Amino acid sequence: MILDDPQATTRIPQLDPLSRRAMIGRLGGGLGATGVASALSADQSLSHYGGKARRVIQLFMNGGPYQGDLFDPKPALKKFEGQRPPGATLRTERITAGLLPSIRKFAPRGNSGVIVSDLLPEISRVIDDVCVLKGCHSDNPNHNPAMFLMNCGALTSAVPSVGSWVSYGLGSENRNLPSYVVLATGYPVEAPLTWTSAFLPNHHQGTHINHSNLAPEKIIPFLRNARYDRKVQRRQLDLLGQLNRKHLENRGGGDRLASRIQSMETAFRMQFEATDAFNLEQESKQTRDAYGTGKFANGCLLARRLCERGVRYVQLYYDGGQPWDTHNNHNERMVTLTRNVDRPIASLIADLKQRGLLEDTLVVWGGEFGRTPVSENGNGRDHNHHGFSMWMAGGGVRGGMTYGETDDFGFKAVTDKVHVHDVHATMLHLLGIDHTQLTYRYAGRDFRLTDVYGRVVNEILV
Amino acid sequence: MTPRLLIALVLLLPADGRAADDRDKTPGKIPAKQAEFFEREVRPLFVKHCFECHSAKSKPLQGGLRLDTRKDTRKGGESGPVIVPGKPGESLLIDAVRHDGIKMPPKRKLTPREILILERWVALGAPDPRTGGPSLSAVAPDSPQARAWWAFRPFQSSVPRPTDDTWSRNRIDRFVLYRLRENRLAPSPSADRRTLIRRLSFDLVGLGPTPEDVDAFVADDAPGACDRLVERLLASPAYGEHWGRFWLDKARYADALPGFESSTANPWRYRDWVVRTLNEGAGYDDFVSRQLATDLIKDTGPDDLAALGFFGLSPTYWKELKLDISLVRETVAKELEERVDVFGRTFLGLTLSCSRCHDHKFDPISNRDYYAIGGVLMSSRPVDRPLAGDDVWLPIREAREQVRNLTVGLAKMREQLPKTAANKKRFKQIEAKIAAIRKSTEFASNTVMVRAVEEASIHVVPDGPARNRIEFRHGKPRDLHIHIRGNPMRKGPLVPRRFLEVLTAGKLTPFRQGSGRLELARAMFTDGHPLVARVIVNRIWEQHFGQGLVRTPSNFGTQGQRPSHPGLLDDLSARFVAHNWSLKWLHREITASAAYRQSSRNRPDGQASDPDNRLLWRFTPRRLAIEPWRDAMLQVTGSLDQRLGGAAGNLGDDNYSRRTLYGKIDRKTLSVILKMHDFPDPGAHSARRKPTTTPVQQLFAMNSPFLFQRADRLATVIGIGNGKPLPSHIHDAYRILFQRQPGSDELALGERFLSGNPAADKRQRAARWSRYLHALLASNEFLFVD
Repeated sequence: MILDDPQATTRIPQLDPLSRRAMIGRLGGGLGATGVASALSADQSLSHYGGKARRVIQLFMNGGPYQGDLFDPKPALKKFEGQRPPGATLRTERITAGLLPSIRKFAPRGNSGVIVSDLLPEISRVIDDVCVLKGCHSDNPNHNPAMFLMNCGALTSAVPSVGSWVSYGLGSENRNLPSYVVLATGYPVEAPLTWTSAFLPNHHQGTHINHSNLAPEKIIPFLRNARYDRKVQRRQLDLLGQLNRKHLENRGGGDRLASRIQSMETAFRMQFEATDAFNLEQESKQTRDAYGTGKFANGCLLARRLCERGVRYVQLYYDGGQPWDTHNNHNERMVTLTRNVDRPIASLIADLKQRGLLEDTLVVWGGEFGRTPVSENGNGRDHNHHGFSMWMAGGGVRGGMTYGETDDFGFKAVTDKVHVHDVHATMLHLLGIDHTQLTYRYAGRDFRLTDVYGRVVNEILV
Repeated sequence: MTPRLLIALVLLLPADGRAADDRDKTPGKIPAKQAEFFEREVRPLFVKHCFECHSAKSKPLQGGLRLDTRKDTRKGGESGPVIVPGKPGESLLIDAVRHDGIKMPPKRKLTPREILILERWVALGAPDPRTGGPSLSAVAPDSPQARAWWAFRPFQSSVPRPTDDTWSRNRIDRFVLYRLRENRLAPSPSADRRTLIRRLSFDLVGLGPTPEDVDAFVADDAPGACDRLVERLLASPAYGEHWGRFWLDKARYADALPGFESSTANPWRYRDWVVRTLNEGAGYDDFVSRQLATDLIKDTGPDDLAALGFFGLSPTYWKELKLDISLVRETVAKELEERVDVFGRTFLGLTLSCSRCHDHKFDPISNRDYYAIGGVLMSSRPVDRPLAGDDVWLPIREAREQVRNLTVGLAKMREQLPKTAANKKRFKQIEAKIAAIRKSTEFASNTVMVRAVEEASIHVVPDGPARNRIEFRHGKPRDLHIHIRGNPMRKGPLVPRRFLEVLTAGKLTPFRQGSGRLELARAMFTDGHPLVARVIVNRIWEQHFGQGLVRTPSNFGTQGQRPSHPGLLDDLSARFVAHNWSLKWLHREITASAAYRQSSRNRPDGQASDPDNRLLWRFTPRRLAIEPWRDAMLQVTGSLDQRLGGAAGNLGDDNYSRRTLYGKIDRKTLSVILKMHDFPDPGAHSARRKPTTTPVQQLFAMNSPFLFQRADRLATVIGIGNGKPLPSHIHDAYRILFQRQPGSDELALGERFLSGNPAADKRQRAARWSRYLHALLASNEFLFVD
């Protein structure tokens, strides 16, 4: 689509924290007064860092992928196959049996020699840009609380999600698009509470887009005017603008009245820009071929297009429900699951890099937890919050390294452990935010994404 | 210090001592902005980093220095004064936090920002609004200091008597006028009749006036026309619908409750109870007591049980019983925290849930207080029950428990026993038994079910080696042990169920009647009445004026804001209590004031000295919330279905023509239209709505089928195409939508937009009209109230 209004594609340059503060100050009553006061002081710390990352793409393997098939091989499993030696009896959600070795082949990949399994041949090609966190752990082996913890930093609902905090802290780079977009072809467990803004102002909530249907009107509610073409609508809005300005004059001015007039014009432009952002037809055949086909591949490509247009936080779920939840037929299902993500993810990283976007885009990969080295039902694996792998790439993270380790069976994180709160603290740090300072006053106290926890994993920073 | 940091701090603290709010002097004669700076930035820093060793509670007190009172902070410690006001470079405190010589705090240096705050504070002359003894959090909740906090003490006010006062219409105005004159401002003239009827209608019933209402009101020359209008509106059932929605925000009402327990009840019966009870003109004391404990009140029958939805509809969270008991108990403790929070903030304007892990950091609320209230709530189980007395309910409950036990037992047997023929037969028998109980009349009672609470305490107990269960003990209330540092696995001392210490006038008495819900309600309306009254009066005031006298309506503690007109709040609250806590009396009193009836027109002098209008030099114009806006669009197009009550409907359906109040509220998936229009999260208490202006809202106004439909409908109502001349139609549209005639320029604009191509056919002309009326419906004038 060709835009006849050059203003429509103009992006606001990234606001530095001070001008963002000044802007919020001008909005005055637009936001909760007390909350803003405390949040204003919060991004003070931004000036200390100057974060490398300006935006985030989070690839969420909902259900919980098994680390032992991907990045964390454990030869000892073979030795104790079918047994439950000490260390293999940790409590998880369900009843489990003896140790079940992985059937995957592992080898060092890239120049860095990070170990990756044969399930991820394409990701292996970009592994030098990836930092694998092998000592991750969480607090609860149930999907629901684990989803809340990974998404919102608490085991129960009612606090804001990571994306909402980031949107609140950094604002939007593009006033014509939402700052936090969730791409999911169905609802994951506990969604949409998993992308809630809770007590933060509503517009920081994740805007859910079911990208199995890319019709623009499915993307942002009421985006498309079904009755009037652009010229006719322009004429109607001109009339409305005249009426509103006269109304404003008659009242001797007023911030709210003026900002709604402004907002109407933004909405008018948004209709065209948002439609444009979701139009994959604009991509070359070469690019589309590189990402491959399928819902997840389209999601990766959309994530890149949204990032290019200044969306601050894109969260892409593998699919609705909990597809990585391989309680049975684990080995077979892993082949399909990884085949669907390997090529799109690798292409996304290569594409971001080629466009110069990887250096300031943080890509985060993981589930809400991992899976057990012990078997469930003979051919399945149970949830495991004691130890699992995640990875990060770009945005100031050192590529081609691993950090942290699990025990001999890959059951529990033992060295250089990284808790979910630490993952969040590190993500915020990379975005230039001190996680102890990004606060919002609500119900009488200052809330934080990381509550009273969180350690920035400095060891993985460039 | 980097220049950026400095600029940032200047922004943080407007240095101009003449800013509007500074007329609100704190007792220490410190400008309000500086006092707020101290409270927001400096005091929390002292609490966090210094009080452990330098306050009344420190054992031992280090260096003889206390920082918890203004006097002690100024006096200094063994090394002499620590602050030289105005001179950070000469202040020991600043040296210490810079780790220049002495190092304080010794283990962890403050962040550069924190140091900067202290430097800035000393440079300003160390403004310290603290009066008297240590901060309220550091004194015993039953001490005179704690009780002297403005929100807790008995009402105190003397009505000012401004000289040459021809403006005031009632006592409210004398307070307002006095403050205005103190600040060299004058009130605004009264709004005209057309503006007033629109304002009063939306304020009292959430709907606009009809053209006939407007004409009658404008023509009513007899004295008391306004009062008669108010009476008519207060008597309309729409009053309860409008103000009910306000209450439901506080009560975090929802129609669909994702969570742990499946419920057969009809949440809307609580919503309807609220609407009905407000319409009946119940006193606030009665309104609240019934929501807390109608089952324990003798003269309210079982048909009042829906009132208990306030706690009955509490959010529940998923509890996986197979997990470690600590995880299950933590989830239950989180549920309790939410219940204590909604109780504290809604009724008392206090953030009680801050005391879950420790004594409140800022207010005189102890860790013990939290568990004293917590015990009451942990003895009150949310449950589905019929709108019927115990004679009907108890057998049903018994039958249900049997079914539940049998079902659980059967599931276990199926899991554990081999599937032999004999066992299969046993399973069958149990199934038959369950079916029989279900079929019995007691179980499948036709009685209407509601979500309420009952007298049963909640316990999480082990159930075998690898499982837990939630046990409800009927008629056995429980006291709670303090959870040390909020950890439900670490038991502290047992705390009897009782009211808050700081609000209790005499001796602390444990509750004795069941869970204690009724005693709690009684305590609120006796010992706690000044606070409880101030909180609700402020809320009602806020709904009428757009802002409360206290601008933190759910926080009346030391971290909240002070009232702009303390005497007015006290006087109005005292009279409210004397008028039997009548909310309708309060609406009458407020809407009868000259302050309320002022014009909303902007004035340069007011804008310059008091842009936030804290002093009420005009009426603050207001944007309609989504409910009245949507309702008004249905109303002006003659489509509003005005039936009261009943099950919730779908707001996503463009043909849904009932009031927005009746749209379904799902805690998990809020309707799109509500979500985009600042509707609060229905999973937690909402202190007030936070209006935002976003492009997504404008997309709704520009593109939604709902608006198209309304515009088409409006064309029919006005009779477009009936042969009348174009200006006459425009006149009608303005009369219906805006209660006025169009100006000549507006008429010209409309005519130009509508005339267009003269060759256009009928269909094109109709489309043009629809676009025109659509623009009027989407206009600021329709959305805002003057």
